[in-house]
Amino acid sequence: MIRYECFEWMAPLIDDHLVVTSLSGQRVEWGHLSNREGNLLLGSMGNALAVGCGLAMALPHRRVVVLESDGSILLSLFNLPTVANLGPQNLSVFVFDNQIYSGTRISEPTATAGKTDLEIIARGAGIEDAVTVRDLETFKKAALPALTGSGLNFIVAKVEESRGHRKIQRTNMDLLENKYRFVRYIEKTEGKPIFLGRG
Amino acid sequence: MEKDVAQKTAAALKGAGIDFVTYLPETRLSRILPLLEADSAFKLVPTSSEAEAVTIASGAALVGKQPAVYMEGTGLFVCSYNLLTVSIRVGTPILLLISYVGSMADQKNSFRFAPTGLRTEQQLRALNIEYQIAEDPAQVETQLQNATRMMHALKQPVALLFTGAFTL
Repeated sequence: MIRYECFEWMAPLIDDHLVVTSLSGQRVEWGHLSNREGNLLLGSMGNALAVGCGLAMALPHRRVVVLESDGSILLSLFNLPTVANLGPQNLSVFVFDNQIYSGTRISEPTATAGKTDLEIIARGAGIEDAVTVRDLETFKKAALPALTGSGLNFIVAKVEESRGHRKIQRTNMDLLENKYRFVRYIEKTEGKPIFLGRG
Repeated sequence: MEKDVAQKTAAALKGAGIDFVTYLPETRLSRILPLLEADSAFKLVPTSSEAEAVTIASGAALVGKQPAVYMEGTGLFVCSYNLLTVSIRVGTPILLLISYVGSMADQKNSFRFAPTGLRTEQQLRALNIEYQIAEDPAQVETQLQNATRMMHALKQPVALLFTGAFTL
């Protein structure tokens, strides 16, 4: 299973979801497949889950989808007990675990290539609905209720190393432009101003 | 922090429009927490690290909350990466309520805190975060309103460093 084919399957299922991506393949591939205003393409390590948690806590009636990587989750493991205890019922976390730091270009292994199991860590942190999937059909079965239902879901998708994202044309939309597009979308769909001030 | 100062600070936060508070508790300002918890105007979000306190607050800011992040001064160093890569780079209006441990006016200063206090303002300047020092509870309402106005004007994190009478 490769990450891109998971994203290809997920993209048509995204409706008014808010989608936050971490870096590298998550940002490049999702940004290529989906140009939705509800995307927030963060592009940094160790931040997407917490930002997604903030969105979910502040807008409990909107489903928030976080697209993370193993390296990014490992950098901020303290997120897992926090998210578990806050327990937002509108948050779906997908960790595309390729077991390497792909950005290094030398495929340096992450801890999940060794003894570390992110599903067990998530469960130990208190996220009850945590699963690991290893093929596309199992991924679809786990992801469908996470995208269409409710609850706090944590899906670890074991994926092969893929360098496809290096061949994709990257969006040149920087984070400021992305922010304003995202915020205006929230204003439009929620019917309220986001940024305050005199103007 | 004395009880009346805590009450004044909590009331000033409410008056400034703050409605979402992420935090990792510490010793100097902790008496504000029960007051915030008891007031339904605030959504309180306990965290395990200041690193996620600022990113959770940044997410909330993007969908209409007026967040504050309450932390000890040491936490500023913990969350600097996250402030840089999310709050500052994206540009999210969040109010940092920082207990200024180890500062000259910290009434509980000791060898454990002074090395941190010595570098706290330098760290904020390095991050290009606007800040003010709050020492006098009589000024806290004005300072919180000013800081909140500034964070909305900049769409960036703004900090208040609490020391002096706030650290009694």
